Amino acid sequence: MPSSWQRQLAKEISQIENMAPAALAAAASLPLDRERVQVIGITGPPGGGKSTLCNQLLQKLGEKARVAALLVDPSSPYSGGAILGDRIRMQSLVSNPNIYIRSLSNRGNPGGVGSSLVSILRAVMAWDFSHIIIETVGAGQSEVKIASIADTVLVVSVPNLGDDIQAVKSGILEIADIFVINKADLPGADSLYTALRESAQRAVEGWTAPLCQTVAHQGIGIDALIEEIERHRQWLLDSDRLLQKRRNAAKFEVAELSRVLLEKHLEKLPTAALAGYLSHRGGNLLKKLDAAYAEILNSLEEV
Amino acid sequence: MAPIRVLIAKPGLDGHDRGAKVVARALRDAGMEVVYTGLRQSPEQIVQAAIQEDVDIIGLSCLSGAHNSLFPRVVELLREKGAEDIPVFGGGVIPEADIPGLREAGIAAVFTPGASLEEIAAFVREKVRRDNA
Repeated sequence: MPSSWQRQLAKEISQIENMAPAALAAAASLPLDRERVQVIGITGPPGGGKSTLCNQLLQKLGEKARVAALLVDPSSPYSGGAILGDRIRMQSLVSNPNIYIRSLSNRGNPGGVGSSLVSILRAVMAWDFSHIIIETVGAGQSEVKIASIADTVLVVSVPNLGDDIQAVKSGILEIADIFVINKADLPGADSLYTALRESAQRAVEGWTAPLCQTVAHQGIGIDALIEEIERHRQWLLDSDRLLQKRRNAAKFEVAELSRVLLEKHLEKLPTAALAGYLSHRGGNLLKKLDAAYAEILNSLEEV
Repeated sequence: MAPIRVLIAKPGLDGHDRGAKVVARALRDAGMEVVYTGLRQSPEQIVQAAIQEDVDIIGLSCLSGAHNSLFPRVVELLREKGAEDIPVFGGGVIPEADIPGLREAGIAAVFTPGASLEEIAAFVREKVRRDNA
């Protein structure tokens, strides 16, 4: 049954998600460089089985230690509301007090996750989890922000979504630390395997993303996948890359929060005025912004 | 302003979730974030999900006739977990005669067939606004 720590964490996440200044500041003071926890990203097309995979991973990993899942679904472009339905696949796990599951809207942000996700991650990390799984919104080809946040990115593919040229394209396949071919019992799985192996798999800085075949709803291939996840973590640690990943995440956090703040200020300006600013006195606005950013960042170095 | 977070859940054993989904969609269209937990949930599962998700309110849908035991059980468990500040409303095929008992057991509102989606969304918005005031 849920203990009060889960309630406290849940409320902290809401505050950060709502960009409450005090909560953001509190989160910013929490370390992101905890090496004991592994942050796993799961991305891939809608209906590919990300939530079902996540359920299997949580179940297995939650037998031994405390694990968390952050599940991102898209917000409505019209109302701003959202249906957060990923946890339907995970409801059988809620009786395990080691498992914390939280659904998040992307709140209109492109790229597969919300802009406050790294700050949320800091808050979650403070509760001593062994693994934190982030499931992105159903991703197409260019939702690659998860690569700036997670230590280990799983890119889920399923058979029969297209021909083998899809495996050659730039974007999401390039961010895979591990390829997961889910629904591997379906016809077409073999040709997907071959296409990924021949066209997408390559060595990057000494790591070659393995191809794992799973049938998530039957729990097939999960143990082997967990072994690869652990192997990637060990590689990150052995090659001193884990902390580099976390520094990248912190940088990404600064960039995302800065963008959101700028947009918030822009929204306050009337559209008519804004439309004229760019051309006003020979592009003065961009020069001013550039100078202002430089000044702020310079002042940071002095601190 | 922060969107209202709602948990829509189906306690008990009936497999009729069309109403729950229609309500979930209507609340989304009213700008709310709706966590949907799917069919056949125990009151324990519902309460734990509500706590993990930090929702402002829980909506229960029941078409099996077991509302008189399931709805109050959710309220009771919330109290046990120190989360009695999360209000609960319900809907489904619920006889008029059962409504006073449910209200007495702590169910904030009961919507029966014929209730309009606008009415439900307005209730949720007003209830959460008043509780947070």
